Parts: sequence; C-alpha cells; structure tokens
Amino acid sequence: MTIKVIGFARSTNTLRVISCLNELGIPYQLEPPADFAAIKKDDYLAKKHPFGKIPVLYDGDYKISESRAICRYLVSKYQGKYNNTILIPHDVHEAGLVDQFIFYESFYYEPVVAKIIIHEIVLKTPESEIAKRALKDLDKVLGVYDKLLEGKEYLNGEFSLADLFHYPCAHFIYSSHADLWDKRPNVKKWLNRLRNRDAWKASLEKKNKL
Amino acid sequence: MAIRLVGYSFSGPVLRVIICLKELGLPYELEPPASYQSLKDEDYIANKHPFGKMPVLFDGDFRITESRPICRYLVSKYQGKHNDTILIPNDVHKAGLVDQFISYELSYYDPPLSKLLYQEKIAKRFLNKDPDPEVIKQAREELAKVLDVYEKLLEGKEYLNGEYSLADIAPCPSTYYVYGTVTHSDLWDNRPNVKNWWNRLCNRDAIKKSLEEAKSFLENYENV
Repeated sequence: MTIKVIGFARSTNTLRVISCLNELGIPYQLEPPADFAAIKKDDYLAKKHPFGKIPVLYDGDYKISESRAICRYLVSKYQGKYNNTILIPHDVHEAGLVDQFIFYESFYYEPVVAKIIIHEIVLKTPESEIAKRALKDLDKVLGVYDKLLEGKEYLNGEFSLADLFHYPCAHFIYSSHADLWDKRPNVKKWLNRLRNRDAWKASLEKKNKL
Repeated sequence: MAIRLVGYSFSGPVLRVIICLKELGLPYELEPPASYQSLKDEDYIANKHPFGKMPVLFDGDFRITESRPICRYLVSKYQGKHNDTILIPNDVHKAGLVDQFISYELSYYDPPLSKLLYQEKIAKRFLNKDPDPEVIKQAREELAKVLDVYEKLLEGKEYLNGEYSLADIAPCPSTYYVYGTVTHSDLWDNRPNVKNWWNRLCNRDAIKKSLEEAKSFLENYENV
C-alpha cells in the first residue's frame, strides 16, 4: 500500500516531507485537502490532526503528523530500502549531531524565515516592523551558519536530514533576499548544493504542477 | 568519565535533560555557568553553543547541544544500560508517535506556556518588568485550547503514547513553573485526564528529584 501524504505541495512543512520521500526513493501519493479551511473542520481535527495542521502521513493504517517527526519515522523505517541515501547516520554520535542541527533549524532559523514569508508573501506587508526585524535576525543567524559550515559541505559534514530541512523555506524568500545568503561564502555554496539536489528538483516540480 | 552538563538546573531545557539523565540512571556532573552573561562570551560561543544557549552536554569528548536532541542521544546510547526504563520504544511506529508528541509539545504546548512563564516568573525577577495582563489573558486562552486537545489525547491513556516516554518528560519543566504559580493551576486541574497525567508525572521519582533540585537551586540563586 502506497504512502499517502495529506498536504499542500506549496507548504514548507509538506515540502519537507516530500523532499524526504524523494531523497529516500519512496513512492507516495499526495492528497491536498480541499483548502485551508478544510483542515480546521471537526472531521479533520478528529481523524487527521488534532491541531488542524498539515502534513499528515499514512503508511497503511499507521498515521503520523508533524513534518520532522514524519521524516524521522521515514528514515527509521525506509532508509536504505529503496536506495543508498543516508539521511540520519547509524553512528549514535553523528545521529545526535544531525538531530542537534535539526533543532537549530527549528528554533533559530525557521521561525525567523517563517515571519518573513508570512509578512512578505502571505500578508504582503514587507515593510512591517516584524518583517524588518526578522530580516535582521536572519542576518545574524546566517552569520552563525557561515561559521558552522566552515570547512564543510553540509552541516554535519555529509548531507543529512538537517540540511534537507533548511531548504524549503529558503526557497520562498531567496530571490528577494539573495544578498543575505550570498554574502556569506559557505552559506552560498551550501544553499546552491541543496537547490541542485535531484530530490529537491522533483519536489519543486510537484509544487509547480499542483 | 562522567557526563558533564553545562547549565542551571532550574532552566527549563536543562531540567529536561536532568530528568532524562535521572530516568536512565546516568551519573553526571552539573556545571553551572558563571552567569547568564557568560553565555554570550566569545569563548562560550566558540566552544560550547554557537547561539549562546544552555544546556550543553559533554560525553567524554563528544559535545551536543539542544535539550531534546541531547535526550534523544542519551536514550539511543544508554537506554537499557543502567536500568529498564524505556523512554523511546524500540518499535519504529511507536517511536514515531513519541516523536510526534514531542513535536506537539514544541509547536503547540510550549509557546503559550512560555509566554505565561515569561510574564509570571521571568519578567519581574530577572528583567524588572511588570507582567502584562493582556498577554497573560491571551496566553491563558491559547493554552486552554491546547489543553482541551491534550485532554482528548489522554482519553483512556495514562501517558501521551500509552506508556511513559520522552514525550511526557518534554513538557515537565515549564508546566512545573506555571502550574506552581497557583493562579494558573486551574488550567490543568479543570481537565481530569490532564490533571491525572500531571499528578502521575509529579510522582515519578526522577521527576520529583529533578524538580526538588531545581527548586532549591533557584531559591539559593542570587546572581544572574
């Protein structure tokens, strides 16, 4: 039975899961909800996600939500089954560091990028104080990332789930703020590597089709 | 070589790791930093945490940051070695759900709780600011909705994933501080499943001991 993902291909959280499925070579079906209102209805809350969010993944009868938890589950169950891509290393110390970088993404990077996306793209208020402050914060965060990437192609040396998680939201604001990323040589090269991965390109095709 | 944990035991994220260490029966040494200011020193940023945060855990030469990854690392490496406590089940499906509940805590439970924590405990004591009643009101409303969901999630269960797990440890520190302010304990106590769950957690040895340790450290702590 094929894996089913409930979500919108243009949502950063759903893109995270789609990229992971593509990286691991796992076949899946994407089922977009009718619209954003549909995920707040009682039926969705009762049967899919109690907080009314996407994505939700079904693997047969098994249901799991929250994009980073979903991806970790996919890696645990399917890494190495369809191809040789390693997203979480087997060594407990390396895996610990990948996990650490995943949390850097979710605490320090994503909240800031999400604010910029919401204000610039969703609310269309790029001049708002919140957007301006978020850009300053992102500048500082990318300063830290440039040091983290010194002498490395990816955050933990080898490509991992942590790197994969960073790209979807960067994709939405890169073109209007390329200078923020590009002025940092390590970050610029890293981002370039991420956008050129086959799995990401396949995810983008999905997003652009739907 | 003992595990070293850099941080203040009363800090939420540090407390989370302390509970995990105690649950797994792991000996450790706590190394409180000189001050909160010292976390922003170049030396700390270069050698401990690039974003100037705590906790940081050293296991021999291995260094890892961020409380939830630290806990997950400790479980991966030491679960079953010192005692029988299971914090992440071996079954991949059950482990996935524990992970999902940890994400619920991070995404939905913690934000309003942190706002309340900031207003009730941190603003006055550490920053000399008065609590903002409007923020408190909104945070309470938000947390009430989240706890309504938790009430349903805990229906027929003693713990979030049935058996006790890391998912139950994650919300403990902040809950302890906000519940303890009395003015907000009603949020948990008015929901029978949530109330029983919280009571069960408070009665676990490892959690009880960790909270006592944090309380006594905070009471004696003068210099930030």
